[in-house]
Amino acid sequence: MNAWDAAYWAFQTIAQVEAIAALGLGVAIGVIVGAVPGMSATMGVALTLPFTFSLEPLVGILLLLGVYKGGIFGGSIPAILIKTPGTPASSCTVLDGHPLAERGEAGKALEIALYASCIADIVSNLALILFAAWLAAFALSFGPPEFFTLILFSLTIIAGVSGDSLTKGLISAAFGLLAATVGLDLVYGTDRFIFGQTELMAGLNFIPVLIGLFALPEILAYLRRPTEAVGKVMDLGRHHVSWREFRRCLRSIGLGSAIGVVMGAIPGIGGAPAAFLAYSEARRLSPDRERFGKGELEGVAASEAGNNGVCGATLIPLLALGVPGDVITAVILGAFMVHGLQPGPIMFQQNIVLIYALFMGIMLSSVFLFITGKIAIRLFRRVADIPRSILYPSVLALCVFGAYAINNTMFDVLVMFATGLLGYFMMRTGIPAAPFLIAFILGPMLEDNFRQAMLMSQGDFTIFLRSGITWFFWAATALSIGLIVRRGLAGRRPAARYSGH
Amino acid sequence: MISRRAVLAAVATAVVSATGATADAYPERPITLVVPYGAGGATDIAARNMTAVTPKYIPVPILVVNKTGAGGATGTAFVANAVGDGYTMMVARVGSHTVNPAMKANLPYSIDDFRYVGVFEINPVVCATSPESGIDSMEALIAAVKARPGEITYSSSGVGSMLHLAGVLVLDAFGIENATRMVTHLPFRGGGEAARQVVAGNATFICTNSSALMGHIQSGALQPLMVTTAERLEGVDAPTAAELGKPELEVLVGWSGIAGPADLADEAYDAWVGWLGQITKDAEFQERMGALGSIVVSMTPEESVQFIRHQYEVFRALVDKLDMRVE
Repeated sequence: MNAWDAAYWAFQTIAQVEAIAALGLGVAIGVIVGAVPGMSATMGVALTLPFTFSLEPLVGILLLLGVYKGGIFGGSIPAILIKTPGTPASSCTVLDGHPLAERGEAGKALEIALYASCIADIVSNLALILFAAWLAAFALSFGPPEFFTLILFSLTIIAGVSGDSLTKGLISAAFGLLAATVGLDLVYGTDRFIFGQTELMAGLNFIPVLIGLFALPEILAYLRRPTEAVGKVMDLGRHHVSWREFRRCLRSIGLGSAIGVVMGAIPGIGGAPAAFLAYSEARRLSPDRERFGKGELEGVAASEAGNNGVCGATLIPLLALGVPGDVITAVILGAFMVHGLQPGPIMFQQNIVLIYALFMGIMLSSVFLFITGKIAIRLFRRVADIPRSILYPSVLALCVFGAYAINNTMFDVLVMFATGLLGYFMMRTGIPAAPFLIAFILGPMLEDNFRQAMLMSQGDFTIFLRSGITWFFWAATALSIGLIVRRGLAGRRPAARYSGH
Repeated sequence: MISRRAVLAAVATAVVSATGATADAYPERPITLVVPYGAGGATDIAARNMTAVTPKYIPVPILVVNKTGAGGATGTAFVANAVGDGYTMMVARVGSHTVNPAMKANLPYSIDDFRYVGVFEINPVVCATSPESGIDSMEALIAAVKARPGEITYSSSGVGSMLHLAGVLVLDAFGIENATRMVTHLPFRGGGEAARQVVAGNATFICTNSSALMGHIQSGALQPLMVTTAERLEGVDAPTAAELGKPELEVLVGWSGIAGPADLADEAYDAWVGWLGQITKDAEFQERMGALGSIVVSMTPEESVQFIRHQYEVFRALVDKLDMRVE
């Protein structure tokens, strides 16, 4: 069978009502699940899995892919409207999305989030279809030493999301690192900071920490001064993204998509770091750097492009090598295996029709994402009209539910409230929350990969220079730190002149 | 007075008969089935495969609940402390019920905190290496370990995972003294990641469930060295442990079973023994599990307990011998 025949049969397979319906339904479920704080895209996919057992393989897998992609976009809706990221991947969207909503431009923020998500999705899908083999080889060459240098470089993002004071950013990151240390040691399996609590052995769960850090401080602030609303009454208005604004964001969207694709192809990183990296690069390149974090449309565009750029690309290691890059692709791998299919090079030989049909379905999913997203924005825009006296109690209830649902334990709810108090304290003292989150995600990865590399080399540090990739990231890290220092010095000069008077 | 006492007595009788009726009627509400590992993992899929067929045999819904963390300890401890009314059951697993108790001193439960209904599936274990390593047999692996002490690495899904123990158990059986010192253990987060690192050449070998390696073996990315089942595995071109003269390694298999807390009520226990017997004979269930590389087994509760205990004792002996206990 030549490629054209395969494509023809694939088209026959995909052009049936069930396949298309599954995709559309999946995206719709995903957007809703993603929009509920605490219900991550991962949970959505895992909960949908059993329903795919009785479906045809293609239909089932398209359903799961739809949930995944919808979920990643859906997470941006509460991130923008109520400052609560619906999924971990959308935590970066909060930084500029929520200030936009407070200014009464939630509609704009949601629209640009959707456009960025869809474009990044298409870029990511094309990367999967065109460069799968090449990117998979690249991804496979990422061992612990390469990972370590990549994470080290990614940590320089902290400077970009620290706001006005790098010191406060670093304090926040230190809190994050501390919180991430709780749990079992990777190499020895011994307890760390668990204070005799069995629940703490598993470490602090990401979702309750996320909710506590972003949503609760807002609610606590409102509790303290109910009359003095923190921002203006949110109003979606008739604000739409103008063509000019869209064109201005295009560069950030392109950059974010590319970062998302590369980060997605490397197993084990996920959407949140990709979004933060895309955001920080967009900020670095922007002439209006100061506006980031205060409601810059480009910031929303970059982070949403970053996290959706990951979606298609995470399928690269799965389809090309049979290696799941994260929990979601592990679930999708399960769906393949339940039907007796084994993703990997063999599948490209034996089931090429299915692969082609899958590719067609994946391309179609971007279109569905756009349509569903448009509808969702119309529905969810009403959230912005709800008075805070009703909205905040509802958000609080949702937060408690979300924190509980992630692992069915009240302990996570306690973790959420504890982080909420910390988050409130940080808000009052002007310590930014984003560095906390980045350190919380990346810190353990940095430690794991450092120790794994050390075990591999039996303590020989030259392992961190073993490949071109490590050299590249060392150079990038040096460059990034150099820029931060230079900018810090440049920023100090006018201030010094003032204090001299 | 009399009337009051009569009323009290009547109430008491009513309460007693009501509870009696409840006990007879097990199950009368949905049953929670705790999976101590993450959604989408092998244990989770086994549980969900099971719930796909349970409506045929169990009159109430089965709710699969993932309680993850600490290598399965969080969810397992939860069930150990649950009420034994039969409404909180769990999928017990090689990692949570034999490897973890054998290795971890800081575990909040022990193997005796459960009443075991039965083992329902077995996963063969395969040892494999990357073809680039130049190691193509167990013999070559053992020679390499002896030639370069400490340099050979094996990957696992973390401390206290079956993979962690399997690597040294195999070497120990093949006569490597002080196996923990002769090879380096490389823990990763998750079995998929552990396999990937061997494919990429960052770790030398891995011993894990065949289902996790099948794809890589079929595509030639991994070279199988040995399987631990009594018979050879279809699609895996490697000798069995018995063929290599180590039949004692047949104890090294993954398994899943159903368990409840130690004080699980007899009614619930009997009901589950009956249901599990029907489920393991269900053709649909067998087919689904088979697609994942599992072998569905029908073990009586006694056989199951004996099987679990034997595996635990073998693991425990190794842990003591090599001083692998995690404090």
